[in-house]
Amino acid sequence: MTGRCPSDLALEAYLLEPERSPLVSHLGACEACRARIARMNEEGEEFRRFVFPATIDAVEAAARPRRWRWPYLLAPGFAAAAVAIALLVRPPGPADDYLGVKGRDLTLSVFVNAAEGARAVPDGAAVPAASQLRFQVRPAGDCWLWILSVDEAGTISRLYPPEGVAPDRRAPGPVPGGAVLDGLAGPERIYAVCAPDEKMTWGEVKGAAEAVATGGAGRVRTARELGGSLSAARQASLLLEKRP
Amino acid sequence: MAGGAVPGSERASELYRKYGPAVFRRCLRLLRDREAAKDATQEVFVKLVRDIAKLDDPAIVLPWAYRVATNHCLNVLRDRGRRGEQAIGDLELARGTDGPSPGDRHLAVSILARFDEGTRAVAVGVLVDGMGHEELAGVLGISRKTVERRLARFLERARAFAGGEP
Repeated sequence: MTGRCPSDLALEAYLLEPERSPLVSHLGACEACRARIARMNEEGEEFRRFVFPATIDAVEAAARPRRWRWPYLLAPGFAAAAVAIALLVRPPGPADDYLGVKGRDLTLSVFVNAAEGARAVPDGAAVPAASQLRFQVRPAGDCWLWILSVDEAGTISRLYPPEGVAPDRRAPGPVPGGAVLDGLAGPERIYAVCAPDEKMTWGEVKGAAEAVATGGAGRVRTARELGGSLSAARQASLLLEKRP
Repeated sequence: MAGGAVPGSERASELYRKYGPAVFRRCLRLLRDREAAKDATQEVFVKLVRDIAKLDDPAIVLPWAYRVATNHCLNVLRDRGRRGEQAIGDLELARGTDGPSPGDRHLAVSILARFDEGTRAVAVGVLVDGMGHEELAGVLGISRKTVERRLARFLERARAFAGGEP
């Protein structure tokens, strides 16, 4: 009994890590799937011999780091947010051993860049006050994503999408860009909000965050979700305790 | 395991060697044209490379790269269809899936291009790739019920389109 034949994606996973694959017994008994694997190996060889050499230059060029997108700092309305958090284009990114905070149908992971590399941080973690951050989300279903933060001074910082850019529908995975904490000690909470469509505005999101922003450090530490018009949205949040 | 923090051309090259074959095979299967698959593989990796260089867990990276490649190639097919070339309806269909009937699958792939990315991901996963609902739900990070709901909605609207409704 070999069961149902695996999908192409499952076979791709097998080719990457055959020793960890649960498909070994199926492949041993299924001639059709062995033929699929043989064909995939031939196509892989074609990639290595012809496609890779012809395309690697373009791929490597795309990988080279960009400079900071400083013009953001000049955008109207950005100055206040920049006091707390400066947006980066591509800060160093997450390792794969991420740690997520699970909210309602949404998981948020926050990565802090440290000397030893990026590391995921748990809710309530103490982090250097000028840390570079990156984010990863795992929404259930369609998600027009907003990420923002609120600190004890009442500063609301828009982290994603950048100022002037409309939210896009995010699939599970890393969120482009990132942020740098402002260097001031104290609690700061990161909120991820999944709107069900593109209609939710930054004004609505910010309005909901103001209830937290006016509550000082205590409110930042305890307000895991934003209320008001966002109370029905999928949300997750994570608290950072910034240390000097 | 973790690939280090700084993406660069060396890291990109390493990851391209690792995941490029899967992307190429995916493009080859959907486009059925070696030259187009080569171009699409490069374009997909150019899109992926800055983010992919920060991760190296196949359990995360492979489904993600696969999904991006699928969407890219479906867009290529959609554009071809508009130019009167090979259209999206020519996709090779999955065999032996436990999903809808072959008639439904033919109907579905002929009008995939009309739908948004999320719906297409479900429709292609089930109808073209023959993935089970549970497996696809895991790949897309959504619930099995959401897969089933989207698929039912897709088929319902697909039948309406095929019947000439707007």
